[in-house]
Amino acid sequence: MTSVYTAADLQEIDERCQEEVASLGFEVPPVVYHLMRSSEIYDIAARGLPGRYSSSRFGAIYSQQHEAYRMGRSRIYELIVNTDPVNAYLLDGNSLVAQTLVMAHCAGHAWFFASSRWFEPADRAILPRVRGAAERMAGYMAEHGRDRVEDFVDACEAIAIHQPQAQLVRRAEPAEEAYRPTPYDALFPDEVEAEKIRIADRRAERRARFPAEPEADLLAFIEHHARGLEDWQRDVISIVRSEQAYFLPQMRTKIGNEGLAVLCHQEICQRLHLPTDQYWEYEQLNASVVQPHPGQVNPYHLGIVILREVMRIATEPDEEERERWPWAGAGEPLERVRSICRDYDDEALLREFLTPKVCELARLYAFEHVQGDPRRIRVSSRESERIREILIRQHSTFEIPHIEILDADHGGHGELYLRHSADEPGLDGEYARGTLGHMATLWGRRVIVETRREDETIWYVGDPDGTTEECAAAP
Amino acid sequence: MTVVDDGALPRQEGKRDALHHRDRVRRKIVEQLKQRIGEEDIIAAGPEKKLRVPVKGTRQWRFIFDRGRADGVGQGDGESGDVLGPPGGEPGRDGQAGTEPGEELYEVWLDMEDVEALLFSELELPRLRPKAGGDIVHEDVVYNDIARAGPRVDKKATLRANLLRNAKRGHARVGDVDREDLRFLSYRDLPRPRHRAVVFCVMDISASMGTDRKRMARLFFYWCVQFLRRRYEQVEIVFVGHTTEAWEMTEGEFFGRVESGGTKVSSGYELVSDIQRTRYPPNDWNAYVLHTSDGDNFTADNERTLELVEQLTAVCSLVGYLEVSASTYTPTHRLSMIFEQHAAALPGFVSASAADDRELWPALRRFFAKDDVQELVA
Repeated sequence: MTSVYTAADLQEIDERCQEEVASLGFEVPPVVYHLMRSSEIYDIAARGLPGRYSSSRFGAIYSQQHEAYRMGRSRIYELIVNTDPVNAYLLDGNSLVAQTLVMAHCAGHAWFFASSRWFEPADRAILPRVRGAAERMAGYMAEHGRDRVEDFVDACEAIAIHQPQAQLVRRAEPAEEAYRPTPYDALFPDEVEAEKIRIADRRAERRARFPAEPEADLLAFIEHHARGLEDWQRDVISIVRSEQAYFLPQMRTKIGNEGLAVLCHQEICQRLHLPTDQYWEYEQLNASVVQPHPGQVNPYHLGIVILREVMRIATEPDEEERERWPWAGAGEPLERVRSICRDYDDEALLREFLTPKVCELARLYAFEHVQGDPRRIRVSSRESERIREILIRQHSTFEIPHIEILDADHGGHGELYLRHSADEPGLDGEYARGTLGHMATLWGRRVIVETRREDETIWYVGDPDGTTEECAAAP
Repeated sequence: MTVVDDGALPRQEGKRDALHHRDRVRRKIVEQLKQRIGEEDIIAAGPEKKLRVPVKGTRQWRFIFDRGRADGVGQGDGESGDVLGPPGGEPGRDGQAGTEPGEELYEVWLDMEDVEALLFSELELPRLRPKAGGDIVHEDVVYNDIARAGPRVDKKATLRANLLRNAKRGHARVGDVDREDLRFLSYRDLPRPRHRAVVFCVMDISASMGTDRKRMARLFFYWCVQFLRRRYEQVEIVFVGHTTEAWEMTEGEFFGRVESGGTKVSSGYELVSDIQRTRYPPNDWNAYVLHTSDGDNFTADNERTLELVEQLTAVCSLVGYLEVSASTYTPTHRLSMIFEQHAAALPGFVSASAADDRELWPALRRFFAKDDVQELVA
């Protein structure tokens, strides 16, 4: 049902939402809402950011999602971008009730963006930067041909996610090793001499090795150290890498961020005293937002379940909870939620609050893929320990294999040698080879990754000519 | 906190990118097909069946963990041990890498007609020249005329006629359109020069052509014939097989027959030369010769072969030689080497070799290369 409304009506609703959310104790930064047609909303959804460079990959996502929308199979109500002021895009054609829910929801996101420490490093002026990059990219396409640029972008995107996730933590520069004299040195001149030589050797070895320490920021390393790249190619690498960085804090805080946004829209809409028919529509929409999806976890649902549990613990804890959390029973449930949202990423949130009770409330189960039919799953457990193990792993690693550059001059031929962490399950061979093919075109020489299968060490190799192979012996 | 109603912010790039994507996938499919023309399932597909083509190069590669052993967490009903339907999931939203590789999104089903249309757009009978009489009809219908009667009104011409008629009566304006103002689009049959063509398919069917080489040779001719039939409705094809002697064959025999014995390549060229002289005089016909062999010829025959090739190139638009060599054979004695030394400079002589199925397409491209402008001028 579509009701007729104007921008002024929305403005009024937004003001009421802002009043309510402020009375709940949330300081929400300014949000600019844009009413947009579905083709524009889906364009932004496909790109992830409005005005991002042209790419046929975005086109593929666009046609798929917009088609689903036109067939009535999906609907994106809103998109929000972490900028200053926050920009939010509303689907023109949403009913007034839907817009109300969406604006109340966006108030939650806007607060989260401004308050969560995981968003501190975010560039809040990213939109002009994105548009500038899109213009440069269009120029490169005109000059070097669309296909060549797109192939290069594809290659960059294959490894763009491999950049340090915890942007708040700066890596300490490892100190140079040096001999520390002791009062007894004179007693053991030979041993002291040997030790000095050993340390000098190690230092020389470290200086000779490049990079001196393993490097996890794959694209940045290639941008700065690959030989034979043209200027436009280095620029494209830097565009893809820095735009990817925008999404990293969002990935890290998906459950907390959506949970808080749902909490805000629920609390605000309860306080707006909607007329009965509108309230009924609101309840239906709210239910569809937090509806669980089989075979995956709906972050909106898990997020609100966890935050509501936090609120309950703050007001009505049981004995065990009272012992576990010093603030249990201290009241001020929303203040507790805010404090958690300021500091916790999803991993921390899950470690602390994915209790057996939450698993039960959210009706979580662990599953395995059915052998021979990867599209079907078998419920393997309802035990909270098992569920915790999987979910925490997913939200600490994002299922991105940990891969580091060990040597940029492997074999003395300028080949790039990477190692995949041996603590993790092995890499998928087909995908590793496809990715290495891309990396080799960026690096300009062979790229090798060391990984494990079962208990064997194996290597995958990508060559700039496009061929890839698997080796059982070090290449 | 403002609500702005601006349709102007991001442009309508989504649709444009979607078109780029379609175009890109199409090109990747063509690349893919070229690699696969040797595969039996394409040929076995026949006109009815559809062919599944997973489009490589559009997949989004990234490092992921070993598939199949992955586990996950879901929500909802189900007891331990229950098997549930396909796990849902939208691919790549929010710029996140999913945990599972997306289902093979880019996989198309093509029928034979699509396959051929995609592939053959790159091929052409080279140096096809107008010949005196003949059957190849190229009639293009072009709407380039205006008439006083017809099925489609030409609005512009009608208005011009109306304006003219009014002006003659002293009021230069458009209005009171009358039946006599009506003008219609009309078409003409553009008579195009006739290009008669005959293609000789010559295959070495001697014993040295092992099973695999015969298969490749037939595959090559299969695609030649498909291409010729699809693109040129009335081109004539003559099938010749040779061992130490040569026979003209029916299409069925050519693709089915197994022979044995030694090889005298000249016998094949001799027969082609005879047939051409008697049935397809060069003044009336564009002639093309395509020959495949394993390059293993009776040494004493090479001189005669070269003589015949030279004669044929004088009257044919193309003499193409494809060497299929699935084994290692002393290369110096191969026919390709002899041709390389003595025939490479002959106009219209093209030689190619294919070690495996994947090299068949490049060979086809060499033989049926589109004329470039320079060549036409020359």
